[in-house]
Amino acid sequence: MTSSVPLAWLVLIGVAAPACVFLVLGVTSLFNRQLPEWGTGGLAAAAMATSCVAFVVVLVARGFTQTAPRLLSYGQWSTTHEGGIAIEFLVDRLSLAFAALSAAIAGIVSAFSNRYLHREPGYNRYFVLLAMFVTGMFLVALAGNVEVLFIGWELVGLSSALLVGFFHDRPAPVGNAFRVLSIYRISDAAMLSAAVLLRHTAGSDSLSLLFGGAGIGSSVAVSGHAPTVIAILLVVAVAGKSALLPFSSWLPRAMEGPTPSSAVYYGSLSIHAGCFLLLRAGPLLEHSLAARILAGALGAATAMFAGITTRVQSDVKSSLAYAALTQVGLIVVEIALGWYTLAFIHLAGHACFRLLQFLSAPNVLHDLHGMEDAIGGRPSWTSGVIERLGSEHLRRVWFLVALERGFLDSVLDRVIVAPFTSAARQLTEMDRWLCEFVIHASGLDVVVGDEGRDE
Amino acid sequence: MRHDPESDRESPDHPLSRVIDQLAPLLPAQGPISIFIHHNTLHDFEDLPFEVAVERAAGQLGREPFLSEARYRDKLASGRILAKDVDAVLRDDLGPAASTDVGGVSARLDLRRAIALHGIPFAAGHELSWLLEETPALSRFRSDLPANARSAFASLREGGDQSKADERRAVRRLWDACVRSVARSAPPPAAKNDLPVRHRDYIQALAGLDTDAWMHPSLIRFLASYLDQGLAHWTMPNRTLGIHGCCVEIYRSRLAAQCGTWARTLPRIVLDDRAADRDALTSIEHSLAILGIDADERTDFLRAELLALRGWAGIIRQIEERPDRVPARDLTVTLRGYLAVRLLFERAALAEAARQIGFAGLLSELRSTLRERFPRPVPPTVFERAWPLFHIAQLSGLDVSIVERWEAPQVAALEEELHDFDDIRRRRILHQAFERTIRHRLYDALACHTPRDQNDRPAFQAVFCLDEREESFRRHLEEVEPACETLSTAGFFSVAMYHQGSTDAHPRPLCPVAIRPTHYVAESELETNGFAQRTRHLGRRAFGFLGYNVHQGSRLPVRGAVLMAAFGWLSLVPLVFRVIFPWLSSRWRRVRETSTAADRTRLLVDRVEAPPPIGRHAGFTVREMADIVRRVLEDTGLGDRLSPLVFVVGHGSISLNNPHESAHDCGACGGGRGGPNARAFAQMANDSRVRRLLMSDGVAIDPATWFVGAQRNTCNNDVTIFDADLVPANCRPAFERAQAAIDEARRREAHERCRRFDAVPSWYPPVAALAHVEGRAADLAQPRPEYGHATNAFCIIGRRDRTRGLFLDRRAFLVSYDPTRDAGEILARVLSAVVPVVAGISLEYYFSYVDSTGYGCGTKLPHNVTSLLGVMDGAQSDLRTGLPWQMVEIHEPARLAIVVEASPERLSLALQRNPAIERLVRHRWIWIASLEPDSSTLSEWRPTGFARHPPERTLPVVIGQSSDWYQGKRGFLPPVAIVPPSSLSA
Repeated sequence: MTSSVPLAWLVLIGVAAPACVFLVLGVTSLFNRQLPEWGTGGLAAAAMATSCVAFVVVLVARGFTQTAPRLLSYGQWSTTHEGGIAIEFLVDRLSLAFAALSAAIAGIVSAFSNRYLHREPGYNRYFVLLAMFVTGMFLVALAGNVEVLFIGWELVGLSSALLVGFFHDRPAPVGNAFRVLSIYRISDAAMLSAAVLLRHTAGSDSLSLLFGGAGIGSSVAVSGHAPTVIAILLVVAVAGKSALLPFSSWLPRAMEGPTPSSAVYYGSLSIHAGCFLLLRAGPLLEHSLAARILAGALGAATAMFAGITTRVQSDVKSSLAYAALTQVGLIVVEIALGWYTLAFIHLAGHACFRLLQFLSAPNVLHDLHGMEDAIGGRPSWTSGVIERLGSEHLRRVWFLVALERGFLDSVLDRVIVAPFTSAARQLTEMDRWLCEFVIHASGLDVVVGDEGRDE
Repeated sequence: MRHDPESDRESPDHPLSRVIDQLAPLLPAQGPISIFIHHNTLHDFEDLPFEVAVERAAGQLGREPFLSEARYRDKLASGRILAKDVDAVLRDDLGPAASTDVGGVSARLDLRRAIALHGIPFAAGHELSWLLEETPALSRFRSDLPANARSAFASLREGGDQSKADERRAVRRLWDACVRSVARSAPPPAAKNDLPVRHRDYIQALAGLDTDAWMHPSLIRFLASYLDQGLAHWTMPNRTLGIHGCCVEIYRSRLAAQCGTWARTLPRIVLDDRAADRDALTSIEHSLAILGIDADERTDFLRAELLALRGWAGIIRQIEERPDRVPARDLTVTLRGYLAVRLLFERAALAEAARQIGFAGLLSELRSTLRERFPRPVPPTVFERAWPLFHIAQLSGLDVSIVERWEAPQVAALEEELHDFDDIRRRRILHQAFERTIRHRLYDALACHTPRDQNDRPAFQAVFCLDEREESFRRHLEEVEPACETLSTAGFFSVAMYHQGSTDAHPRPLCPVAIRPTHYVAESELETNGFAQRTRHLGRRAFGFLGYNVHQGSRLPVRGAVLMAAFGWLSLVPLVFRVIFPWLSSRWRRVRETSTAADRTRLLVDRVEAPPPIGRHAGFTVREMADIVRRVLEDTGLGDRLSPLVFVVGHGSISLNNPHESAHDCGACGGGRGGPNARAFAQMANDSRVRRLLMSDGVAIDPATWFVGAQRNTCNNDVTIFDADLVPANCRPAFERAQAAIDEARRREAHERCRRFDAVPSWYPPVAALAHVEGRAADLAQPRPEYGHATNAFCIIGRRDRTRGLFLDRRAFLVSYDPTRDAGEILARVLSAVVPVVAGISLEYYFSYVDSTGYGCGTKLPHNVTSLLGVMDGAQSDLRTGLPWQMVEIHEPARLAIVVEASPERLSLALQRNPAIERLVRHRWIWIASLEPDSSTLSEWRPTGFARHPPERTLPVVIGQSSDWYQGKRGFLPPVAIVPPSSLSA
């Protein structure tokens, strides 16, 4: 195993490059010593290129010849009597291919953003978040255990929400960023529960259960319903992150950021992170029919819902968002059916294609005009089945449902947000009442009152 | 037959109709974004003087009238505004009141000058407490005091610790004195409390609930879908019923209540309209009654309602007025339909808001109940009142003893003065001074520039568009080829037509927006090889269908899945090329275009009797052509001094990923590309029948003279020459020489343009600069393919001799006009054709710069093309009108200064004959000045008559070429005379 040393180094360099950029840009910003644009853009481009080269080299040198996954360990981050948390990357064709794809796409987007965000006040902040996101993506792709996976998952989610709220001088982006973040929290909670449960059931050998790391001891005896529960929790986490039903309503809201960030997150990488996780967790899914059925059903329902919704959207970004969601739903179905290779090819092709479409979204007028000129007139849009189905009244109702995006927002508002906020409000009331009671009972109110009057 | 409840029951005399018509001009007047026409953003305020108009609009529309005071102060610091201009503007503004004493402090002029130049930082509430407690405001004098005040405090500001302590004591005493004197005098009368008119504003102020935020998402989705011009695959059903009728059909379903908590009652409200069979106007009336709006409040209320979503309301009005400008013409669009729908939604939202705040009464009583609880403005505290006085005392260098003696009358006088010279007024003065500085620099340059002697007949002439982006191109062309002469006129060259290129799907109007063309001109392929032609056609169609199928297929589930899985990764190729190597992709684009375009085409300008697809006539008659040619020759003063070769150059701009692409095109062609006009003009002028007719009119064109049409792409600096194969042999040598000169000018012009792009290093040679602008135009990631009209500030109407060799930094619209060949007719005609276009451009840039997020459409980065009509910010927002920040960021917002080479008398006469332009001048939306044809006397228009402008500075001379002056410099450059070394030795 002499080749493992350069391999381990290359993978580490690949992951560390964007992480270093994140640290450098973040720390310089913290001290208000931001690098000039060329420095920031150059660093980001160099890091993405480095990662891309590193992953491609590893993929070519290793991935095509050796099929067995390998676990690279970079030592313990913390140690407890139960085993602690280790920094481990799992290297196989799937993880390397996804990491290389992420690096290539991140590189293109960073080159794009460098010019697109030129002279923008948030230029530096954007690149800090982009580097954070890319680091997170690499961690998700290469995670060798569930802790690393969770860290990556969180970095992706946090940077995503912060970029949705990039234009924080307007209220709409900030409100939508909160919305995205809160749905991500649901997904994160499911993910965390799955991680804890996994740890509890399988101990430090968790990855073999989750990732089916053959050769690292796949014989862990897991008893009872644990795999099913874990798998279902994972499916919930994926549903939140990949905007499957019933969480789909955050996706169009996330289109508030600059065009390239919308492209890389919701057209290309972040939206597929969930699919990738499901692919990784394939072996676990195979333990649990219920989870597979759930995933398949969610995927199919999402594909249908998004397929109808996208037809009605009259702004280019929402239209693309739902179009992307249609494919994501289908990819999830493919995974549920166990067609892993097809799912990955579909995922990779979709990520590239949608990236191009999102990046050239502002060009839609130019493109449509050019197409019309070439064809010699406006092509009559072929109507789908749905547009011709049922009575006129039924079609109007369908249209309204698609226009209002399945009313998912208001359903979420009513079923989750309203009870939650009202509970929070009651708790606040109770808290206040309790404080007042304590203050009053202990005679503190006299002192507080005096200070108040002093001002 | 179309069922059309909104127009068939239309009653123009309905009082509501009149109110709506009266309010509609307040809305942004921007049409579909693919035909972008620059216009005065505040067109509805043109009958007010500029300053009054912008300030009133600022109040009414919630926008900024001028830049912020801090921005002007930056310009003062950097020398873009001169203190002497501030002084002059203040003197003009105050007149005889300048010397009045204010509160015993100083003369009004001195006081205002000090305030305008140095400012009083506004502070109140917590901000003021912070300033007083945490900053050295009460321990040190201001560091930016005027000289006289500084000397008063000089002894205190210098030296060591002792004097620092002294200074702290002195400042503290001054502050205490201000506070005491303010405390002694009564506070000024409280400002009038402006009560809002909409229910929503009351609820928002009192309960923090924003009903607009509830209902706007659904309303916007509905409107965008209703107005959609082909972006969605599934168009909204019942669009022919009008906005209100369609809304009633769609939202009457019980499911509509699920649009949000706010929509609980929406289906009921909608069904009620349907049951009562109301049309849009009666629905509005009904809603107004339910909302408790009295007849006298209607105008105010409806205005506020319209302005709440002004971008969408504006586009609805635009389509209502010009339905021919959108592709989807089967839908009925009316502003009253929109208002009716808006009020239905609003009623539902207000009912829910009333429920949430526990209001049980009728909606009509909601406002009166809330009005009583509306917060009253808090009178200013003693500290808040003392703060500006404290600054006045410092700025005027007042001694504490004086301040201590202030009594109520002095304090009242000063407070009155401060109220009068408030923030808006200070910005107005600073802005006027800013413009004055810019304007006078041009006046000085024009007055000092000595006209060059007209040498022999030029080797060739080139007529350009008056666009200020051609100023640099013309200058470089003349520097490369001193034997040529350049001229300019409105870039449609008087050819008003619908044009359809051989590869265009639709005809497009190419003329100023005020004209509706009646002529249709098509381009046809001139092909001998039928097979090649068919192959090309098939290839193009196949390419188009491929693109169309990918576009649509990517949005479908199954077709999309096949596409993505099989070919998705292929898109990495265009991604890498278009993002990382844009220059290469521009080459590839060119290869593809030349391979699918016909080798030779001709314009069908001759009249054909067959009915045209649009307009009234196909082609022009010989008489019409002769009139067009004559008009341009007369306007430009070319008449009898034509050289053997004349280029006619229109312009356009092609860029990628730019929804505002059309805003870079030719304004005189109504946001289209002017090449076809130039080509048609050349073809007409070359026509022997036209020349014979002109000869009989007394306009002789030498038979040896040949006209060549061309188009310049202002983005990538390509110059396309049309019908080059027709150039006769005797003109060939001159033609080839001219082509070489144009090629060199392309490089040099790109070079000059690149100095404003931060991304281009200043050492770039012209060849690299040309490659850079070519890449920029094909770059998917480039939000600034070119800077368009940014920095425009002047318009000069006169002979080229008056400006030839003058470096005007791409800031001046140049219009050729020869006063020596005009009896007055031509000037009036030129003014009426040119001034509306250039004033519209200048004012649109002014407003989009001054308030980028209000009048303009803010940063481009989150823009989202919607309905193929315009852009929204991010996921969903009001339709954003105006120009994006990336287009205007290097602009200087100044009203256009027009200088006309004509005597004041003749100019006055010409103005009198154009009442619309006269109004713009009278209300100072533009400045106008006369430059005497035979001397350097320049006089500026004032309400009292023309006033002579004595030159304030001399004109620097740079020997060499333009690049010797601009190379290595990024910012604005003042005019200089560029003198070629050869002419110096001669």
